Formats: sequence, C-alpha cells, structure tokens
Amino acid sequence: MSDRSRQHPVAAITNVIEIVRNNFITILIIVFVGSGTDEQSLVNLYWLLGTIAVLLIWGVLTWLRFTYQVVDGEFRVQKGILVRKKLYLTADRIQVIDISAGIVQRMFGLVSVEVKTAGSSSKQARLSAITRGEAELLQKLLRKPADVEAHEEVAEEVAYQLDLKNLLITASTSGSFGIALSIVGTVYTQIDQVVSEERMIHFIQNELPAFYSGNMVFYSIILIILVSWLLTFFGTLIKYAGFNVVLRNEEMVISKGLFERKQLTIPFNRIQAIQIKEELLRQPLGYANVVLESAGYDEEGGKATTLCPLIKKRELSSFLSKVIPEFDVQVGSVTVPGVSLRRYIFRMMIVASMVVIPIWAFIPYGIYSLFFMPIAVLLGYGQYLAAAVGSGENTLIMRYRKLSKVTAIIKRYRVQAVELKSTPFQRRLNLVTLTIQVASGQQGRSFSIWDLSKPLGIYYWDWVSPERSFTDERIVEQPLLTLPAIS
Amino acid sequence: MRPEPENRLTQRAVKAWRISELFRSIIFWIPVFVLWLISLEGNGPASWIIYTVAAFALVFSILSISLIPKIRWLRWHYQIDQHEIDLMHGVFIIRRTLVPVNRVQHVDTRQGPILRKFGLADVTISTAATTHEIPALDSETADRVRNQISNFARLSKEDV
Repeated sequence: MSDRSRQHPVAAITNVIEIVRNNFITILIIVFVGSGTDEQSLVNLYWLLGTIAVLLIWGVLTWLRFTYQVVDGEFRVQKGILVRKKLYLTADRIQVIDISAGIVQRMFGLVSVEVKTAGSSSKQARLSAITRGEAELLQKLLRKPADVEAHEEVAEEVAYQLDLKNLLITASTSGSFGIALSIVGTVYTQIDQVVSEERMIHFIQNELPAFYSGNMVFYSIILIILVSWLLTFFGTLIKYAGFNVVLRNEEMVISKGLFERKQLTIPFNRIQAIQIKEELLRQPLGYANVVLESAGYDEEGGKATTLCPLIKKRELSSFLSKVIPEFDVQVGSVTVPGVSLRRYIFRMMIVASMVVIPIWAFIPYGIYSLFFMPIAVLLGYGQYLAAAVGSGENTLIMRYRKLSKVTAIIKRYRVQAVELKSTPFQRRLNLVTLTIQVASGQQGRSFSIWDLSKPLGIYYWDWVSPERSFTDERIVEQPLLTLPAIS
Repeated sequence: MRPEPENRLTQRAVKAWRISELFRSIIFWIPVFVLWLISLEGNGPASWIIYTVAAFALVFSILSISLIPKIRWLRWHYQIDQHEIDLMHGVFIIRRTLVPVNRVQHVDTRQGPILRKFGLADVTISTAATTHEIPALDSETADRVRNQISNFARLSKEDV
C-alpha cells in the first residue's frame, strides 16, 4: 500500500449523500420556501435537477482528487478540489480506526473507515468507500506493533445485547419523542400556508361534517402526537437495532444500527464519566439508559455515547460491574436544603412563562397554554427532589433533573475544573451552584447542582483537589443520607 | 474553610478596563442612534422616547465605565501552586473555580491593543474541557504566571 490509491468509485456517490445529509435542512428550506405557485414549482424542478447534477460532478471530482497511502507507518491523505489538502497522520498518534458500513457501502460490499487522532476534529481522515480487504490491510499497517501482539491474544466477550423486547420498549419510550413533537407541531401549524384556507374549509364542510372547530383542534393534537410517536419509534428502532457491547482487553466495541451498522471502539482509559438517565416515559416503568463521556469521541451534535439504551434499574449495578467496574459504586449523598425549593419552582415558572406569555398573546386559544404553569411547578418540585450530590473515595456522584433524571458518576482524577457560582439572590440564602467539568468529545461536559447549601458546596469543591484539603470538620459531620446512588 | 486566593490583579487593570468599557458602551448608544435616524425621516417616535432611551444609555455607560471595572478589580483573586489554580471573580455572579494543575493542556498570554498600551496581558489556561482567564496582569507577572503554570503542569504530570 505504498502506492497512492483511490477509493472505490462508489465513494463519489457517498460523498454526495454526505453533502446532502449535512446540509439537509438548508436544502429542504431552499426547496420548500422557493416553491409558491404552480409555475414556480416547475422552475424549481429544473433547479433541483441542476443542483443534483452539480452535486454529482462535485462528488466525482472529490473522488478523483482523493488519494491515500501509507508510507513508513504514516498515513497520508491528499484531497480537495479547489484547496489541496495534505493530511499526514503518524501511526503512533492514531487513536482509533473505525470501520463501518452504511446502506450504500453494503450494497457494494464496501466499508467506510475513519482514522481518528485525539483532540482537534480537523485531524480526522475519513475514507468513505473502500473494500473490506483494503480496510483490513490499512488497519494492519497503521496499528502500533505493541497493539498487534496484544491483538493476537484478544479475548472477546459480549457484555450486553439489546434483545427485541427491549428494543421495542426503547423505541416506544424514547425521549426524542418530545423533540419530534415540537417539530411535527411546527410543521403542522405551517400547513395552512401550503394548503389554501378556502380549500381546507371546503374539504372539511363537504367531507367531514362531524368536525367542528373544537373537535378539529382535538383531532389535530391526537394526529400530531401519533405522527411524532411513529417517527420517533421507527427512528429509534433503526438507530438501536442490533445494539451490542463487546469487551476486549483494553477497550470496548459498541455496534448498532439497522441499515447503517456503526461500530465504536472506546478504550477503557478514555472514559471520563458516565450518566444514568431516567427519561420521563421510562422512569415509571423502572427503566434507565446509560451514556458515557469519553475524551475524543462523541456522537453527532456533541451528544454522549450510548453505552446501554435500556436497562432495568435493578440490573444497573450488575451491568456496570461487568462492563466498567470502576463506575459501579454506591456512595452516601446529600440533598439540597429546603430553602432551595422555592428557587427551583420559581425558576421553572419563569421558563414556562417565557413560553406561555407569547402563546397567550399571539395564538388563538393560547390561554389554554396556562395549563403549562402547574406542570412547570411540578417539574420544579421534581428537580428539587432529584438534586443530590455524594462522594466516595475517588468518585463523585451528582444527581439532578432537567426533564429526565440524570445520575452522573465522575472520577476525581478525571475532573478538569470545578466551579462554585453564586448570584446575589443565592448569597442572601447562603446557597451556591456547584459545577463539575469533564472532558468529552471535542469540548467538555458540565454537570451542575443548583442551590446547594454553601458549606456543602465548598466541601465538594474542595474534594476535587485532594492535595490541599481544607475540609472543615463541621461539614463532614453533617448527616450523609446513605441512599444508594441510583435510587 | 479554605481562605480566599491571595493574589490580586494590578491596579492598572482598572484603567485599562475603563477604556475598553468606553468602547464597549457604544452598543448602549446604537438604539438611540437608530431611533434618531428614524426620527430624521419625519414620522419617527416621539422625542421623549428617544430622550428616555438616551438617558438609559447614559446611565448604563456611566455605570459600566465608572463602577464595574472597580468592582471587578476588587473581586478578582487568584492563586497558583503546584497542585491547583484557584480563581475567584465576578461582579454580580461570583465564581470560584478550581483547576487541578495536572489537567492543564496549555497556557497562553495575550494582549489586545488597549492592554498593550498599559503593559498588561491576559493569561488563558486551557484544559481538555474548559478555558479560564486571568485578565489584565502586568506583562512580567503574566509571563511569570504562564511559565509557573506550565512548569507545575509538567512536574505534576511526571509524578503521575
């Protein structure tokens, strides 16, 4: 492989697909906003075909200009149509070589390869379509000699597998339902701009005599909920089908996806923290999901990597002890003081009123949005109940709720920074906000507990730095509620 | 309880901040300017509205130039030792930040035109997740702090 080689020609197509996927919303906006009357949509059709043609030419050119080779254990990529880029990655800086296969790749029996180094995302090389043989050769050439030896005696163990029943539960209770709901809702309110109002009224009067406006609103809401739920259900189903976690010597491999099989390799020593999330729909059923923060990796949009899409809460401990034993800890914890309750509720009421007041003012029947206020109060109360923090020997556990209840388990030696913050109102009540920062993906992730009592805040702030502890006896003697970390 | 970090910024920081606040307070005057432009067209808002907005702009400008830099200076404390960087600052919201030294990835000093005029520099401390700043230090102090942090960071990494 010392010659410069090109990818498989299919790469031209996958390049185009990638461009379209990355700019999907832009393209949608152009297509939809552009089309108004009938004549215009005809023009847009030509325009659309033109765009596709340009994209295809672009894809072919990108493929032509993209070459890669391995020279002296150095991975070299040359690419770019207008701006020529040369990317040289030395083998011992390469953290991981990910091989995956999307639909297009699978149709031609190809794979895509991602070569990742730590830190900045610009230092990533992606081959979007080569044969599996080439990919394996590449992997062999670029793997550090030490790794090769370790690889030979690798012990693999499937630690977790999402079975069909759990997959269906995951899909039907997914938290992205809320997001889908807001998108579908927005689209629905725009429909009357596409379909003319007269035609709609005509249609309703002729075809659906039973619908009067009150009923109409009710059925609309049902329809929006149903469509959103179906979208989420199938979206999640496709994303998590065949999810499994395989443990190797120093790393774990997470595979998932129905059409596009994704494989993530995560070395154990890069895991910074984990979060146990109990989403609103899952909490009553006793289910949780686990995500992990790891330096250098994240999913699209900076989201944490899913380690387990669905698990019974009582099986959590055994799952963690099997997969990442250092995170299977139980510690005592303390909650926020009673005086914080009104701040939690007040904060949520402010958030809710920022939504309710504009709706009330501008949308017919908007007054019904006042219904959000008691929900906000309840949520605030739930957040107050959830907020807790506790520390073990080397582990800090922070539990809080935004919508879902989150229990973050953080290792002391992974904390990048810790901050205590107080507004004038908090100072009056002797409260602080504690924020812990860990590395995750390209940036970081922060975990915060609002309105903790000041002495406790100082105690945990201090706890992060063991070398210079000024821990006050008085604080240690405070009653630590020994509730399990995950309750 | 742990004492407050002991180092303060130089007094000259206040002056430098005042000047940069002077430039920054232009944004308070943009609405006034826009309203005034509209009123030139004839049927703009009533003049008392413009005067009120201007009065607010004046109050905000005076506050941000005279009061805020002083309070900010009073609140800023920092301390660096071989284990950690301890920062405390904030005018309304007070923040106390602790960065373990062995997490530091790199330290920079930087100088804008105003800071250069006063012989000051900002020190920026980056970890894998966060960026922290000690603003408006004496140029020499800034260099010393930067070298100190990078030395401590190197030493503590060798420990591990």
